[in-house]
Parts: sequence; C-alpha cells; structure tokens
Amino acid sequence: MTRVSWQFRKRSIIPGFGLTLGFTIFYLSLIVLLPLSATFVQTSKIGWQHFWHVVTTPRALASYELSFGASLIGAFLNFVLGTMVAWVLVRYQFTGKRLIDSIVDLPFALPTAVAGIALTTLYATTGWFGHPLSSIGVHVAFTRLGVIVALTFIGLPFVVRTVQPVLEDLDKELEEAAASLGASRWQTFARVIYPAIFPAALTGFALAFSRGVGEYGSVIFIAGNMPMRTEIAPLLIVTKLEEYDYGGATAIAVVMLLLSFVMLLAINALQRWSGRREALAGG
Amino acid sequence: MVSATAAPARSFAPATAESPAVRLVLVGLSVLFLSVFLLAPLALIFVTAFGHGIAAYFQTFTNPDTLSAIRLTLLAAAIAVPCNLVFGVAAAWAIGKFEFFGKSFLISLIDLPFSVSPVVAGLTYVLLFGAQGFFGPWLTAHDVHIIFAVPGIVLVTIFVTFPFVARELLPLVAAQGNEEEEAALTLGAGGWQTFFRVTLPNVKWALLYGVILCNARAMGEFGAVSVVSGHIRGLTDTMPLQIEVLYNDYQFVPAFALASLLALLALATLVVKSAIEWRSAKPSEALEGEAA
Amino acid sequence: MSITVRGISKRFARFAALDSVDLDVPHGRLVALLGPSGSGKTTLLRIIAGLETPDAGSVHFDGRDISDQTTRERRVGFVFQHYALFRHMTVFENVAFGLRVRPRGTRPSAQRIRERVGELLELIQLGSQAGRYPSQLSGGQRQRVALARALAVEPSVLLLDEPFGALDAKVRLELRRWLRALHDEVGVTSVFVTHDQDEALEVADQVAVMNAGRIEQVGTPDEVYHHPATPFVYNFLGNVNLFHGRVDDGVTRLVREATGHLVFIRPHALDLARQPNGANTIRAVTKHIHAAGPVVKVEAVTEWGAPVHVEIGQERLRELSLQKGDEIFITPRDVAVFADD
Repeated sequence: MTRVSWQFRKRSIIPGFGLTLGFTIFYLSLIVLLPLSATFVQTSKIGWQHFWHVVTTPRALASYELSFGASLIGAFLNFVLGTMVAWVLVRYQFTGKRLIDSIVDLPFALPTAVAGIALTTLYATTGWFGHPLSSIGVHVAFTRLGVIVALTFIGLPFVVRTVQPVLEDLDKELEEAAASLGASRWQTFARVIYPAIFPAALTGFALAFSRGVGEYGSVIFIAGNMPMRTEIAPLLIVTKLEEYDYGGATAIAVVMLLLSFVMLLAINALQRWSGRREALAGG
Repeated sequence: MVSATAAPARSFAPATAESPAVRLVLVGLSVLFLSVFLLAPLALIFVTAFGHGIAAYFQTFTNPDTLSAIRLTLLAAAIAVPCNLVFGVAAAWAIGKFEFFGKSFLISLIDLPFSVSPVVAGLTYVLLFGAQGFFGPWLTAHDVHIIFAVPGIVLVTIFVTFPFVARELLPLVAAQGNEEEEAALTLGAGGWQTFFRVTLPNVKWALLYGVILCNARAMGEFGAVSVVSGHIRGLTDTMPLQIEVLYNDYQFVPAFALASLLALLALATLVVKSAIEWRSAKPSEALEGEAA
Repeated sequence: MSITVRGISKRFARFAALDSVDLDVPHGRLVALLGPSGSGKTTLLRIIAGLETPDAGSVHFDGRDISDQTTRERRVGFVFQHYALFRHMTVFENVAFGLRVRPRGTRPSAQRIRERVGELLELIQLGSQAGRYPSQLSGGQRQRVALARALAVEPSVLLLDEPFGALDAKVRLELRRWLRALHDEVGVTSVFVTHDQDEALEVADQVAVMNAGRIEQVGTPDEVYHHPATPFVYNFLGNVNLFHGRVDDGVTRLVREATGHLVFIRPHALDLARQPNGANTIRAVTKHIHAAGPVVKVEAVTEWGAPVHVEIGQERLRELSLQKGDEIFITPRDVAVFADD
C-alpha cells in the first residue's frame, strides 16, 4: 500500500473533493475565464500600433485621468471618514447606532442606476443640495465634482467594513498598557491603534479605488459625459461600442482589465499583510 | 436626535476613553457624513416617487414596457442566483474543506469579477457571442441570439454576481474545520448526508445572506446589462435600464417610482443582513434564554 | 473485536509521524496509547478509525484486513478531543444521528431510536438534558454526550482521542473512573490516546508507550511502570533520578564518572539514613524538605554535586528528624540499568 510522496492535495477522508473542485473550475472557466481571455485574443487582432494609438488618444488619456483621479479622491475621503465611522460604530454607544450601522452597506445593495439618478437629482441646481450650493457658486452635477461625489458614495462601505472587525478584535489591554506607560489618548491612537488598523484601512482604500475606476451606473447620470472633461473610461468603452468601434472599445477595456489585475494582486497582498499583522497582534 | 451617552459616573475618566466633547464631535461628523451621502439620496427616491401623489406612483406600474422590464429582471435573477448558489456551495466545499496546490490562486480568480468593471464584463460577452465575436458567425448561422437578447442579459448577470455566495460561505466553511464532518462519517453518514445534515445547517445564515446580496446585485446590475441588452423597449430592457429610459425622457415620477422598488429591495437586503448578524452575534445567549 | 496494526508508517510534509508501528489490541480490552505530543499517538488512532490514510502498513479487525475500508464501513465509535458535537442539534439529536443516517433498510424505527437514545442518556446520566444544545452543557457533560453518540451505533471498537484533555482536573478524575466503569459494563474493545501517565496507568488494561513515531513498550500498567523496557519509558512514567553506575556480580553501584551504564531510580525507591548503611551508599546534603502532603519530598545534592529527589513517609521524616543542610546517606532499593548510548 505504498503511495506516491508528492500529492496535489493533502489526503483527507472528507468526500466530494473531485466533484466540487471539478465543478468550481469548470464553472469559473465558462463564466469568467473564457470571456476574459476572448478580450485578450481580440486585442491581439488589432495590432500593437493601432492598439497604442487608440489607448493614448487625448480623449482616452483624459478619461483615465478622470476615472483614476476621481476614484483616488473618493477612496481617500472614504479612507479618512470611513475609519472615523468604523471607530464611532465600534467604540461608542448612541441612539440610532444600529440604524447607522445597517445603512452603511446601502451602496452595496442599492442598484447603481438608482443611486445615479438620486444623486443627480440631489445635486442638480434645483435639487436639495444643488440649490444652496449653486447659490454660493459650487456646481456639483455635470462637473468633475459630481463624479467624485458618486465615487465616494459607491466606495463608502469598503473602509468601514474592513476596519470595523479589526477594531472590534483589538485587545483593549494594548491601550491600557499604553495608558499605563504614560501615553496620552492621542498618542495611544497614533502609535498603538492606528498602526493596527492601518493595513485594513489601506485594503479598504484599495477596494474602494478599484471599484471606483470601473464604476459606470452611478456616475454617468451625474457626470454630464462631456468628452475630455467629464467622460469616464467605462463610458468611453460604451461610446465606442455604440459607434461599432469594437477594436477601440476592446483596447480601452484591456487597459482597464490590466489595471483590475494589478489592483487584485495589490489587494491580495494587502490582505495577507493585514492578516499577518492581525495574527501577530492576536499572538 | 443623536447624542453620545454620558460616561458612567466615576471619580476619574478611564484611561482608554476620549473626552465627551471628542466623542460628540466624532459621532456628529459620522452621522452627518452618512446622512448626506446615504440617507439623503435614499429619502429623495421616495419623496420624488410620491411627489405627484399615490395615484401617479401606481400609474407607473401600468406601463407595459415597465412591467416587461420587471418581468425580465425577475427572470434574470431567478436564473443567475441559483446558478451562483450551486457554484458558491461547491467552491466553498472544495476550498474550505481541503488543502491543495494553487488554492489561494483559485480564490483570487473567484474574486476576479468584483474587480472587473461591469462595462468591461459586458464587452467581453459581446466579444464572445456578438455578431463580430468569437462564436458570432456560428451563432448567426444557427439563428441563436445571445447578445441584444435575453440570454446575454442572464449571462452577464451571472458574471457580475458570480462571487457573492462563494465569498460569504468560504471563510465560514474554512473556519468551522472538519471535525463535525469527520464525526458524522464515523457515525456512518454518507457524503450527502454529512453535507445536508451537518455542514449546511452550520452555514445556513451565511448562505442566506450570500443569496440575498447576490439577488440584490442581480436585480440592480446596470453597466454590464446595458452593454449586452441592445435597449429594445419591452423586450430587453431590465428594471435599471427602464429607469434610465424614463429618466432620460424626463419622466421623473415613473423613473423614481420604479427606482423605489429597487430601493425597497436594497432596504430589505439590509434588514435581513442586520437580522442575520444580530442572530449570529449572540446565539449562545439566545439559547441560554431558552434553557432558563 | 480485536485490532491488529501491522507496519503502519505515515509521513507529514517533513517529519515521520509513525514509523512502522505494530500493535495488538485483544478483544474487549481497554488500551491506552500514551506519549508526549508529537509522538504519533493521535495519528495512529485516526488511522485505525480510517480518518487518516497510512503511507504503508495495514489495519485488521478480528484478523480481517480493513485497510481499504472507509471510516463509514469500519463502524468505529470515535470520540474527538474537542467532542465535535453537532452544535445545531440537541443532545438527543446528536446521539440519534448515527441511527438516523442509516440506509432505510437497516434504520431502526423512530420508536426504537427513541428508546435506544433514552437508554444511552440514562447510561451517561444525562436523561434530563436531552433537549439541550451542546453550548448549554458543561465540558464533562459534552464529553459524555460525545461518548453516548459514539456508542449509539454499537461500534465494533471505541476510539477516544484525548478524551479528558479539555477538562479541568477534578472533572477529569471523576470521568476517568466513570469511563473505566462504563467499559467494564459495555465491554467494547477500546483504545484511547493520552499524554497523562496517571490517566493511562489508572484506566487502561494495557498501556502502549509511544515516542517519536514508534511504540517503545506495551504492557500492563504494572509492567510498564515497574519494568520499563527503555530509558524513555522510565522517564516518561514518573519522576526519576539518573545516575552513572557500575554492575559487579549483579550488584549496581552508583558512581561519579561515566561508565557506559545509566541507572534509573524512582524517588520513592531510595532510602535515607543518618549513618552509612553498607557499601552502596552515597553521601548527600539536604537542600529542601517539602513536608506538605502525604509524601515528604526531599531535595538533596550528592557528594559530587548531582541533584537527587527522594520521597519518604511523614513517619520516616520524624524518625530522622531531618533538617535543611543535614548530611544524609542514600541507599537505592530498586534500580533499572540501561546501556548509555
């Protein structure tokens, strides 16, 4: 009964490995990998020169700039405010806390088109917020500011939901130790708490950024969609598709896909880092 | 409305708490931030939907195109959610219960649809099944319509909601370990018996939550569906696409009335999520209560 | 049913958990696998249960090779270290599980299952707790439910992995006596894993002492304690003093320098005296005397500076009227000699 020493998997008596893994890989390939690889195959048909030309037109560059820039600003806002919301939800008791805690996930559950028309109506010059803002000269709807508002909305839950569990698990004794060693509350936060939640907050930042770059539904209503000014990269793809410019649409899509892969790798690395930090802290 | 509760009466402030003023400012800022970004848009949807009265609100749902959009959305979700449910359970079992080579890579691949832009997702299916696409000539020859038709809408809906159930189940299945399953096997249970009687009851709440999130996203998907739908009114417009059509026609009341249905679905999703979290947070206390 | 294990080997990634292990468990016996953590005892138990597959070797029940049978086919009762009770089922449902998952043809009627579970719950003295969930039970109660659940399927053999490992000291003591009594009543061939020598010696008919993936010795508790086959067994089964020695004409003399022979002496196998008594006596000075408890523990240092532990009765302490710093003479009564290699 000698068996080979190297094994694809650790032997286990739990049944069903072949069936479930087989189905998982089959379904994954069919739904995700096959369509994505088709994109790369199509790109190779375009030819490198044409590809490079399409992805570097001023209009395309302006759309990346807007998508990336607005996503970065939105994600940063969420990094700061989301950490604060997570802190408030974990550490303080106040009336309405349960409601606030539940509502944080709204951007995950609310369809993007619904969010889009609601935000646009809210910030249009006749809207609840748009009217007072325009009277002091701030225009949100149909400007780049509107894109930032939409992407902040879309990315709002990420930082809160990555930081919250870490804060909950944070050993109170660490803070008590810092206090007993003479640290002020602010010093304790800056030197003990913040380093512990930073990897999680950064992971949330990356997730919010990644979501923002690809976001479409909530942005197109409020953006105004002026080429070179308020046109996001996903909209450029749709525009090219509507002009039956499949090659152009594919080229832009490949740029965005590559960015997705990079972000996915970065987020995985961040989560591993954050997980290791937690494991160490938990000791 | 919202106020931080006063610290319990003590002769000195605890070393690990902030001053009441700091608390009040932080709570106030958080509530303001969430009110502006979340509560205001949510309230606006319902206020606008009912802006011309209840009759105008219900008038929306007599439009045949709107009704057909609701039917199509329900159909797409009814196919996509079960598919991803079966996948999620299989993936959670394979990945959570076994150690094998390439496991973390597989997990990353399952997450992939989360990081792909919905528009890009739609485009990939156009490139595969569209007239100019990979299978286009063959499909045209056999008179099969996927893109600009219902199958395409269903397929991209499956794509964008692909990871939800797996994502909710995986960490839980992995965290529960194999001991209960091993115990069931030593007691003579078969593989399916072990799964249905031991594993599934232990993860049923996470499973339910995954399904509900998956469903909310399936019914609300816009970008990907927009690319493959072709926008044929009454035929290939889903609820979110019909909302866009109405909104762009300046029919704000019908647009927001239809949007309010999806907003209600989102609220129901949040309620179920909170209920599940509350339940799983204190199972032992609940049980002790029963015992006493 | 008897269990026979032949030539079982198992490697995990880098280290050999089991290295060609043989073991015989006669029908109806209660056998302990005793060893430190990492000695391979749990792996051996899991291989017998079919929860783990060996790299080489075979397992036989009543002489029948069952190596290729699944856990399900082997019909073993397995009690897990952390009980592995189904947390969403009541005590009753946990115990009934093994009967309810039987194929339709051999499944007892609902009435019969109720009776059988009722009997078992009486046996473990938890008849009144049938409707409770595992999270509402104490550790000792969970342990008994796990045992009843394993017994419900009328297993051919009962395997227990560190059955008392997760309990506090007092409950442990109660439960191991209870387990012994239960075994005498039920009579099923049983193997349990433990790292606690007192537990193994008190409960088991036979003890298999394991070390580094091998079985060092198998014997009755009396045999392994009084006639250890290897230095490891001697060391593991209680406190021991270690000396160099020389064997002349069957008499062992304790000496200072290394001689190629190691002499093991239990603390209670040393006599203390005020005066030298015969040739084989070493001089020592007492360092500490712990007189609390039924046994007096004396720590002393030999003339060549080696520490010695001696256990004497309270009576003897009074006779000697021993004080800290006194000169004493130590005479071994019972020694074990092993080659030093």
